[in-house]
Amino acid sequence: MPLIEIEKLSKHYQVYQKQEGLWASVRGLFRREYRQVTALDAIDLQVEKGEFVAFLGPNGAGKTTTLKLLSGVIHPTSGSCRVMGYVPWERSNHYRRRFALVMGQKNQLWWDLPAQESFRLHQHIYQIPTDVFQSTRDELVDLLGLAKLLRQPVRELSLGERMKMELTAALLHRPEILFLDEPTIGLDVVAQHNIQQFLKHYQQTRAITILLTSHYMKDIEALCQRVVIINEGRIQFDGSLAGIVDRFHQERIVSLRLADSTSMDELAAYGRITKLQAPQVQLRIPRAEVPTSLAEILNRFPVEDVSVSDPPLEEIFAHLFSSGHSGGGGNSPREALELGATELRSSGPRDAETESRRGLLREVRR
Amino acid sequence: MVESSGGGPAAGKVSESGAATTDWVWQAGPRRYGRVFLTFVRNSLVRAMGFRTNFWLECISSSCWTLMNLFFFKIVFSYTDSIGRDTGWGENEFFVFLGTTWIITSLIQTFIMPNAQEFSELIRTGQLDFALLKPIDTQFLVSFPQIVWSNLANLALGVVLVVYAVVRLVTTSEVPLVVGPVQVGLYLFFIGCGLAILYGVMIAMAATSIWLGRNQTLYTFWFYLTNFYRQPMEIYQQGWVGWTLWGLFTFLVPILLVVNVPARILAEPLRPAVDSWTWVLAGMALTAAIVVLSGSRWVFQAALASYRSASS
Repeated sequence: MPLIEIEKLSKHYQVYQKQEGLWASVRGLFRREYRQVTALDAIDLQVEKGEFVAFLGPNGAGKTTTLKLLSGVIHPTSGSCRVMGYVPWERSNHYRRRFALVMGQKNQLWWDLPAQESFRLHQHIYQIPTDVFQSTRDELVDLLGLAKLLRQPVRELSLGERMKMELTAALLHRPEILFLDEPTIGLDVVAQHNIQQFLKHYQQTRAITILLTSHYMKDIEALCQRVVIINEGRIQFDGSLAGIVDRFHQERIVSLRLADSTSMDELAAYGRITKLQAPQVQLRIPRAEVPTSLAEILNRFPVEDVSVSDPPLEEIFAHLFSSGHSGGGGNSPREALELGATELRSSGPRDAETESRRGLLREVRR
Repeated sequence: MVESSGGGPAAGKVSESGAATTDWVWQAGPRRYGRVFLTFVRNSLVRAMGFRTNFWLECISSSCWTLMNLFFFKIVFSYTDSIGRDTGWGENEFFVFLGTTWIITSLIQTFIMPNAQEFSELIRTGQLDFALLKPIDTQFLVSFPQIVWSNLANLALGVVLVVYAVVRLVTTSEVPLVVGPVQVGLYLFFIGCGLAILYGVMIAMAATSIWLGRNQTLYTFWFYLTNFYRQPMEIYQQGWVGWTLWGLFTFLVPILLVVNVPARILAEPLRPAVDSWTWVLAGMALTAAIVVLSGSRWVFQAALASYRSASS
């Protein structure tokens, strides 16, 4: 049985439409116009124990709403959901002690007190025996490098340090499911990396289930095996990260450095040139043609260095979620997804996917 | 504070993989409420100590305000012997009343008011999310976390004033007051009822911010209310305006019972015994406490069901 089972879950909000101007405001005191906003539109989803799932989507897509429904903070408009056998919004204490929610934009620790005091409050709320509490806390504090900060009031911590404290507080009761809503938002690269490393390690050692929403591709690339793309309240893709790359990246980026740049223009025969800065040139070649085209290029041109990579994930998402595309081009987001990101300019190759240049050169020349 | 049980698998059970889901047995007992409350007490104290100067300034300023209140009534009683004709509220009886008002107000401002206000704020900012996640009664969790210790200064003043006035009533009164453990017990019990009424009114009002979005008038409204409960109810029993207010604040929003009942029981303005009307009022206070508490519980639960949380 899946750990999380969602069926036809919908959430609509009534939003007050405020009109411009004083007279409209006065009228609004007596009669108000409401607009219905669909945050979630009949989504189905199943998550197995031990999965690390990322929710991806633009602002207002329904990612956070999903997490809030799963944690029982809000009630749905329709549909059903069971997490570990519980209906979340019944808010049973037995359910609530078995998961945790961390929100990057909200702070649950006592602002004027050291985090240590908030931890103790959690100990009593969750009734954690003192020995379990101490060993869990010490382990987390050690993993996140927080020992020196425990006695400092929370208001004096940096954003990254505070986030680590929030994570510690959320994990003290050893939850089986962790909901993370943009845990790395606003953090610098180092802090982001630290938190990613921690989450990865913790999820692997404890085999807990994690659902994460994030805007940072780096988070998702580093952590998740499974990606759920939500847009306008609907699930548009559910599968592996590699699946997205295979499905939507119909081109690969080939970057070359030539010893002699006189005949550079001729490269256009093999693909679309996206960057031309002699002696560097970057072109996009259809995925299936890469081996043959590359072999020919290496034979015909004085290539000094070469690398092949996938276009960055950001690019495909930017394309999928840009309203300009779905509106102006007449394509729905779904259609946009089918089309893939073929028209966009590259913003640089993905480091993680960059193959060893020399190795590739050797292989192709053979 | 009812623990929800059933409706799902038993707690602390063994997961499908065979490993224990947790390393300890979860008991949804009432004992943790005491522990959690003590942690609130402790954390609030630690915080108050962190802002020491502020703490003392608050103590001093609220005590000054309270003492000025006393001087005002001293002046009033230099013109008259009692409040109203044949009501029995002479100076010492009234000081029992005044001291009781201070005690109740101080307890409300120490334990209830800061939390009711904070509750509105939690709703507006979406921070209530965190309270809803915890495996403990949400109403309990939002009702008591903040304790403003400096407001207890007035409690001390109130106790001193009540003791002083009672001693005067016992020793110097024409019809001496008799005070024993029963009177003191009843007095404390009905102070409890009064606190329950005020708590219920406040928390229910704060909970309405879930529907209204914003409820910053709470503190103002609190002042309107306290203006009415600060006086013996006899002052309202005259003219149609007075009787309307009396009816409104006795039956509809029963705040007139809050101070009047315990003060009447202790000071016995119509000595030699507590009059039968006082017992009627006492019965009403107890009923009101139960009705308001359960009503506020209902409002609270209904409000939580409509909570929509602020944007992330």
